[in-house]
Amino acid sequence: MMAASPVQRFRVFCVTCVAAAAVSGCVQTVPGDLVEAVEALDRELATTRAAEFAPDEYSRFARHWVAFKAKLAAEEETIRWPWEPNRLETELRTLQEEGTWAKKEAERNREALRAKAETRVDRVERRLRDFQVRVNEIEGRAVLGARSVEAELLVRQARSFLENGQYDRSLEAAAQASKSLVDQVAALNSALGRYADAERINIWRRMVRQTIEWSRTHRAPAIVVSKADRILILYKNGRKVLSYPVRLGYNGMLEKRFQGDGATPEGRYRIVKKRGEGQTQFYRALQLDYPNADDRRRFRSARRAGDFPTEKGIGGLIEIHGIDNPFMNQTLGCIMLENPQMEALYNRVETGTPVTIVGALDVENSVSLVLADLEGSQNPEEET
Amino acid sequence: MKFALTTLSAAAGLLLVTACAKPPSEKLEAAEKAVKEAQESGAATYVAEDFAKLEGMLANAKKEIADQEAKFVLLRDYGKAEQLADTAKAEAVRVKNEAEKKKEEAKQAALQMQQVAQESVKATQELVAQAPAGKDRAALESIKADAQGLSASLDEVQKALDAGDYLGAQAKAKAIQDQSQKLATEIQAALAKVGGAKGKKGQQAKK
Repeated sequence: MMAASPVQRFRVFCVTCVAAAAVSGCVQTVPGDLVEAVEALDRELATTRAAEFAPDEYSRFARHWVAFKAKLAAEEETIRWPWEPNRLETELRTLQEEGTWAKKEAERNREALRAKAETRVDRVERRLRDFQVRVNEIEGRAVLGARSVEAELLVRQARSFLENGQYDRSLEAAAQASKSLVDQVAALNSALGRYADAERINIWRRMVRQTIEWSRTHRAPAIVVSKADRILILYKNGRKVLSYPVRLGYNGMLEKRFQGDGATPEGRYRIVKKRGEGQTQFYRALQLDYPNADDRRRFRSARRAGDFPTEKGIGGLIEIHGIDNPFMNQTLGCIMLENPQMEALYNRVETGTPVTIVGALDVENSVSLVLADLEGSQNPEEET
Repeated sequence: MKFALTTLSAAAGLLLVTACAKPPSEKLEAAEKAVKEAQESGAATYVAEDFAKLEGMLANAKKEIADQEAKFVLLRDYGKAEQLADTAKAEAVRVKNEAEKKKEEAKQAALQMQQVAQESVKATQELVAQAPAGKDRAALESIKADAQGLSASLDEVQKALDAGDYLGAQAKAKAIQDQSQKLATEIQAALAKVGGAKGKKGQQAKK
């Protein structure tokens, strides 16, 4: 048998003393109800996710709590003389205070973070909805391409993180969504900024004035289409005789660049063919001379610059036509009128009638107003 | 004389025994390593409270060693420190296992959500493929880009999974699925308006 070490001998001595003390009036030092209370508090701290929301406070509590349990496991100071101070009870009470404080801090921080995340998510959701409404007003969804779905996905993630109590990540996703919206506004500005460009508007206005002047001097009809206003105006002898709302290509606000881009061309055209009943699926149609010489020049230049894939063609068969399907809101690039209005127009124009298609007639047009509005509503710093 | 020699030998023996008491460096290192492994397994994320306690245990073991080192050399006893280090190590293993279990659960949930999102996007793309020919296809052209965007965003889910961000992957996949369903509803409405399927009358016009 191995000889006991001095420490072991000391422990045996202590145990003997304790045993003697027990029969001679010593008392237990660990109040069971207090231990249970701290254990319950520990469970509550876990539910509150105190380690996440009050890391310093919880860490302090956890360190002391595990030290206390280790002490109990080692059966240190578990009994005392009645006249001795109860150190373990004091320690437990301190622990209880620390735990209660950690819980309070965790709840406070958690609620503050939740409220902050909820506010941000609500705000970015509102911004997204407003943005979508405004973009639809100018039919800009196609302009944004695949990007249009990005902000919506991020907003959904932000909401999902919020609902799962992951507030930090919710805030992060909301900030990303906000940035994505800013990027999309920039993309819209880049694609449609010419609608707010005074110089460009002046060019369009000059084109319109010249068309009206032509109508006056030739005592003949001439058509003007303003894309931003989605309106077609017929002039005769230089005077406006009628105006009709129109629908454009699904990417109608853009300048036409190649076949299949869904854009409605801008420029000076003429009616080259009239298609009456039975000659078109669209009730009546007026075919324009797109692409004209200007269009071809622009197309070649853009293709050389690599603005689009080289296999793309310039397109054609741009018409002013009636409606085949009343539910169709957009065309592939043509200008579409309600059938009775198409009939009225059809009967008033001839092959050779000039058709001038411009972006807008005024600096303050539907597109420039929406762009200004979207620009003004951006406040990315608020979200970060 | 004999008594003095005996006392001296006993004192020397005691000195030898106590002076040889060394801090349990290896055990502490083993505990630290185990705690680090627990942390690397994602314990701070998946079992945060347990991990905080584990850190407390390690801190206690270190404190006990420091307390003993502060004592006079003959009075040092590292028995308790050794025990605390052993307990911290054992707890670290438990916490690591628990974290790995929770992480695996999160991974499985994320993979499941990824599959649901993939199927949802596929169904949406199939709907897009039903877009009519001719002029009626304009009804779907502006929606097509959204379907492409959704498809591209599936890569983000995979990236999050590869990075071990399972909670993020799950949230991304869920967002894609929800958005995909919304888009599918929009496409169905557009298809219903234009009356249907590919091959409907309509000229293949240049535009």
